[in-house]
Amino acid sequence: MRRLRLPAALLSVVAFVAGCADDAELDTLKPEGEYSEQIDNLIDPIFIVAFLVFFLILGLTLFMWAKYRVTEYEEGDWPEQVHGKTSWEIGWTFIPFAIMAAIGAFTWILLSDLNATEANALPIQTAEGEVMWDPHVVVVGQQWWWEYRYYFDADKLEELDDANGNPAKDLPPADIVTAGQLVMPIGEEVELTITSRDVIHSHWIPALNGKRDAVPGRFSPWKIQANDPGLYFGQCTEFCGLSHSRMRMQAVALTPEDFQEWVTAQLADAETPPGAEAWLEAYRAADGSEVEAPEATGAQRGLVAFTQNCASCHLVQGVNDLTYDGATQVSGAAPNLTHFASRTTLAGGILDLYNPDGTLNRNNLESWLRNPEAIKANAAPERGMPNLGLSEETIDDLVDYLETLGPRPSDEMIAATQVD
Amino acid sequence: MAITEEPPLELEAGDPLPEYAEQPLGVLTRPSGNTGIASWLFTVDHKRIGIMYGVFAMFFFLIGGLEALAIRIQLAVPGNDFLSAETYNQVFTTHGVTMIFLVIMPLAAAFANYLIPLQIGARDVAFPRMNALSLWVWFFGGLFLCSSVIIGGWWENAPDGGWFNYAPNHGVAFSPSKGIDFYAIGLQITGIGSLVSAVNLIVTCLNMRAKGMTLFRMPVLTWMLLITQFLLLFAVPVITVALFFLMFDRLYDANFFNPDAGSDPLLWQHLFWIFGHPEVYILILPSFGIISEVIPVFSRKPIFGYKVMVFSGIAIGFMGWGVWAHHMFVSGLGPISVTAFSMSTMLIAVPTGVKIFNWLATMLGGRLKFNTAMLFAVGVVSMFTIGGLSGVTHAVAPADTQQTDTYYIVAHFHYVIFGGALLGIFAGFYFWWPKAFGYKLNERWGKWNFWLQIVGFNLTFGPMHILGLQGMSRRIDTYSEGFGFELWNLVASVGAFVIFLGVLIFVINIFVSQRQAKHLPPVGPDPWDARGLEWMTASPTPEHNFDEEIEVQQVDEFWFRKYDIDDDGTVHRIATGDEVAQPGTATGVHLPAPSYWPMVLAAGLPFIGYGLIYNLWLCVLGGLLVAAGSFGWVFEPADDPDAHHGGHDDHGDHDDDPDTDPEAAAALDAPEGADDVAIESEEAPVG
Repeated sequence: MRRLRLPAALLSVVAFVAGCADDAELDTLKPEGEYSEQIDNLIDPIFIVAFLVFFLILGLTLFMWAKYRVTEYEEGDWPEQVHGKTSWEIGWTFIPFAIMAAIGAFTWILLSDLNATEANALPIQTAEGEVMWDPHVVVVGQQWWWEYRYYFDADKLEELDDANGNPAKDLPPADIVTAGQLVMPIGEEVELTITSRDVIHSHWIPALNGKRDAVPGRFSPWKIQANDPGLYFGQCTEFCGLSHSRMRMQAVALTPEDFQEWVTAQLADAETPPGAEAWLEAYRAADGSEVEAPEATGAQRGLVAFTQNCASCHLVQGVNDLTYDGATQVSGAAPNLTHFASRTTLAGGILDLYNPDGTLNRNNLESWLRNPEAIKANAAPERGMPNLGLSEETIDDLVDYLETLGPRPSDEMIAATQVD
Repeated sequence: MAITEEPPLELEAGDPLPEYAEQPLGVLTRPSGNTGIASWLFTVDHKRIGIMYGVFAMFFFLIGGLEALAIRIQLAVPGNDFLSAETYNQVFTTHGVTMIFLVIMPLAAAFANYLIPLQIGARDVAFPRMNALSLWVWFFGGLFLCSSVIIGGWWENAPDGGWFNYAPNHGVAFSPSKGIDFYAIGLQITGIGSLVSAVNLIVTCLNMRAKGMTLFRMPVLTWMLLITQFLLLFAVPVITVALFFLMFDRLYDANFFNPDAGSDPLLWQHLFWIFGHPEVYILILPSFGIISEVIPVFSRKPIFGYKVMVFSGIAIGFMGWGVWAHHMFVSGLGPISVTAFSMSTMLIAVPTGVKIFNWLATMLGGRLKFNTAMLFAVGVVSMFTIGGLSGVTHAVAPADTQQTDTYYIVAHFHYVIFGGALLGIFAGFYFWWPKAFGYKLNERWGKWNFWLQIVGFNLTFGPMHILGLQGMSRRIDTYSEGFGFELWNLVASVGAFVIFLGVLIFVINIFVSQRQAKHLPPVGPDPWDARGLEWMTASPTPEHNFDEEIEVQQVDEFWFRKYDIDDDGTVHRIATGDEVAQPGTATGVHLPAPSYWPMVLAAGLPFIGYGLIYNLWLCVLGGLLVAAGSFGWVFEPADDPDAHHGGHDDHGDHDDDPDTDPEAAAALDAPEGADDVAIESEEAPVG
């Protein structure tokens, strides 16, 4: 059986390469950005050195098996009793040391590169006119979804405070708040400031860079960059409790023009379903008290249902922003839904929001609203979205309303969301 | 018992002991006798304690193994619902905690207890009753931990924060079940066992060596075990502090790890990994020691570079304290710390590599006999190499940001802990089985055991390298289709069952071999033509270990009593092992007497644990048991004046120089004087 070892080992190398060749969206060896490429360029030669050392040791073992094995000991058959050889031992102390020193030097260089950031200026049109934006996203983890906050005014970032308590629970108001999908311009160094509202999570988009933990009470710097437009998958990688496996995210990299378009759309308040404007105005003016509702279309009824069932946790800018005061969860937050339908996934990045043909995936959305716990185990209401016991009609109406919270993402992004 | 302590009163040798000392507390008579279950439960014999460590650890190995199978069933296919997320998180947590604290550590303790006294030519460890205490404290602590699976509902109350149990996810807000309370208290209890054992074995190594057995004549195994005990001595207090904080956070609303109150959750990570990384070496060094004994015997050569082997072990032990933050490369430590720990982690590969090359050089030019023990030992050399090399790839901190918390890490540490530590322990089983039980394990079954285990192991954990590099996260209860994880997960799950079959064959082998042994001649003291002092007495080892003290003149003393090397380097036999070995037939050897009290004391601790979690009145019960155990112990003379052992005449000569006489030295240093453990040739007439 020992004879099978070498072929088996070789086979496993072949299988290894083959295994990496199929379509694996989270593959760490298929970089799509500058930093992940740097990491890949460092580790690939080290993998080769490691393989060589392993085959050297395995080869020596097999050689000795072939050359020196005996089945039974014969009386008097003793080899030379060698107790050691200083020159050899010095050799296999210093050669590995030299290899390690070389690896260490390259590691050191890359570490300083990966931790350095540059000051960039990307012109962005905001409500206040054009600003020069050093691309920067504040990433906030909580059980079990990611929030992305965009501050176009760099001074606002100074207000992030890492003093006492958990400042992530009381962040300054951002220009754009979105969830589940990190939208970024291509070609730019996008700085991340990563924190958490509850337990430790880890933000990881393997194609764009390694991971960085989201630690409550800390604002950890990191950066990502994408070469080409596309949708890059990620997964929370620090065990964060019950539904850790169902905490995912995607980075959506857009051309600068598309990114500007996205920013413009996100800066606007949510669309109001046609015919519900008057009701919404009254609702906002009444500051949450009872207002007689229009009941004509599903989207109109959905808007009302949203204010009745969802608005205590979820914010839709232009609907409940006047009354919204955080969610009831331990984290104090629930995904911002203002432009919900402009994303391609929901429920913490785990469900597709659109079908491959581009139509809304009503099935996913309905089953999520029907019983979130069945899709994503949680400890609602403290952690995760509770089962609200909604009727089928209400679910239908809510889906109609949520679909209006666009703009709809591009066909390319919808197609890229499909994993196969 | 080899060890007696002086009674609390100053007595002249030969004086009758006062009544209360013979019947401590005036209620119970002392356990006595060498047969039956009581002779095991209350024993203070290091060999029986070692065997019990092994048996109990194998019981926990079954539990941890079944948990592993449950994990692999759940992950065999995407989107599986064999285990719910809630159960899965408990299962992977208890799998890790069980395998580390209740399987590998105690299996190493089994070898340490059984072999250290034998390898240094002593009659027992320095403090035999403390040895019993460490066994029972550990075992009851283990049962306490495992009971969380049952108490309060089947898989409702087990710890669910991972063995690393990061803050603040371990807080009541995020883990409201009692599981993490069990974790915090259970590991404090087993930690007491580890600490007691560490102190005991360190004193044994330093004070109980036979005449001429200098430190640099100790076998490599004893050296590695000694280093392990020092690591335990310094590492266990750190985790105990962390667990103590955690216990207060959870039970009494303290805020050591609560970020909302301004605490830094990284405090837990630092404390945990300052313990946790030396822990890795606590797991692996005993196995390095075992194969350093096995490979020379089955190569017919001495270990290559004895001193380098010892010093590289010491180097690993030291450097193991300077690498903990490599578990935290992505936690946001800052680039300076990350760089420093990245460098130190690479450096530790050097002494580890030295060991691997020294084992290979030991085999070079030898006469290699690949029986099961040797197969397992050589298996360690190649499998641990894979684990070591993958370790280097994530010492490279930028690469680690891609690899950490993926299955690549799971693959890595299983190659280290299973491929290194556990395979080495199996090598030890096959090698020392005849010494402990008087019969060899069957080689046919043994080879099936080895090959199934090694093939299953590689099937299970080899593909995890690929899964990790493909981006599969650790600690996820399920995964989605389409990310390329399906094939290799299925392969890994099949492999897990092959491992299970391999271990099952080991268990069958024990029974098969025991039956066959009845029809075979006795194995004799030295079945392998081996090198260490443990082979210089009868098999199974007699209760008193050695009939008379051995005077040691060199490394591999026993071998040099059998063989002589000519000036031209040829080896000549001058005696057979049977001739050199002691017959083990001495009578009247003064041995430490069994005692109830270590077990009584140990039994109190889980009650205190349950009391802290459920009802403080149980603490009173536990406290009473601890108090009764302590008082009984204090008032009980270490040796039983009623036992027949030729009287106390052998206490006569205490005028030796304490610097050279381990007996006298131990008696001076130790509160429980170790005066009788060291062997006095005059007390044991050779039969």
